[in-house]
Amino acid sequence: MLNVEIAAEPLFSIGPLTVTNSMVGALVASVILLVVAWYVTRRATLVPSRMQVLVEFPIEWIANIVQGTGGSRWRSFAPLVITIFIFVLIANWLGLLPGVGTIGYHAEHHGEEVLIPFVRAAGADLNFTLGLAIVSFIAFIAFGIKANGLGGYLKHTFIANPPYMTPIMTPIHIISELSRLISLSMRLFGNVFAGEVLLATMLALVPLVVPIAFLGLELVFGFVQALVFSLLTMTYVILAIAENEEHGRPELDDPDHDSPGEAPDHRAAPQGTAA
Amino acid sequence: MDLTPLAAGLAMGLGAIGPGIGLGIAVSKAMEALGRNPEASGAIFVPYILGIALAEAIGIYALVVSLILIFAA
Repeated sequence: MLNVEIAAEPLFSIGPLTVTNSMVGALVASVILLVVAWYVTRRATLVPSRMQVLVEFPIEWIANIVQGTGGSRWRSFAPLVITIFIFVLIANWLGLLPGVGTIGYHAEHHGEEVLIPFVRAAGADLNFTLGLAIVSFIAFIAFGIKANGLGGYLKHTFIANPPYMTPIMTPIHIISELSRLISLSMRLFGNVFAGEVLLATMLALVPLVVPIAFLGLELVFGFVQALVFSLLTMTYVILAIAENEEHGRPELDDPDHDSPGEAPDHRAAPQGTAA
Repeated sequence: MDLTPLAAGLAMGLGAIGPGIGLGIAVSKAMEALGRNPEASGAIFVPYILGIALAEAIGIYALVVSLILIFAA
């Protein structure tokens, strides 16, 4: 039966905190990460074992991408990008395991009897993706302030170049910064939730064999969305810190730069013209 | 008569046209670039992923609108 709720279903509550099934999903993903990291680093060797290679491979792969595009300060934000990638990847793939979203208990909901799963893919809950997006948002603002100073960051954000354009450009700039928050969270949520709905629909239409193809598709989507979330975070951080650097101009332009207010700003770096 | 399902379907269907065209253009250009210069695959990869993600985001907005129409309205 086709049943995917848009909001995560509450399971039980501890005091004022209501625990939903997507929180369980996120918690399971975190525990898997912690246990694997603890187990692998405890017996890490210079010549890596097979398990160690498996864990090191995504870290090295993302680190190489960050190094290639991140400029001289890539080491400061590479851990954030790698962590987001691995966490979202585990959380997305966890949602595809058999039993997740199908094992649960029956409950009355709006007068109908529905299945409340114990574990739900964490990305299929807007709270999870919005939380990650807020982390990313705070991170790129913090890196911008750290690299350019509070004054430099505020000047860049709130004063346009040329200065008389400020009344028009500043609102556009603020909206474009906030739209990053919304687009980051909505993209991940939309993809994972649409994947859940797609799988449930296919399972209801053709229960045998056919859903396997879509499970494969969802594996790819889960990977791509994890990559997209982490690479967009990386791009935002690079844009925030490279604004006043001499050689720090990233080769990637701001992908969200549908607002005309952004383009002249980045080229307005005082020493930037010397390069 | 409840027209909400129709509205949700239209929102998704019409909203998927633009991202579909955009993704097609992005992928075709990336393949063209790869065909001309296969060694550049590493350099193309990150901008390509970011580009298709941003094109796809528009489709996701349409999806969110139709989900809101179905579940929340």
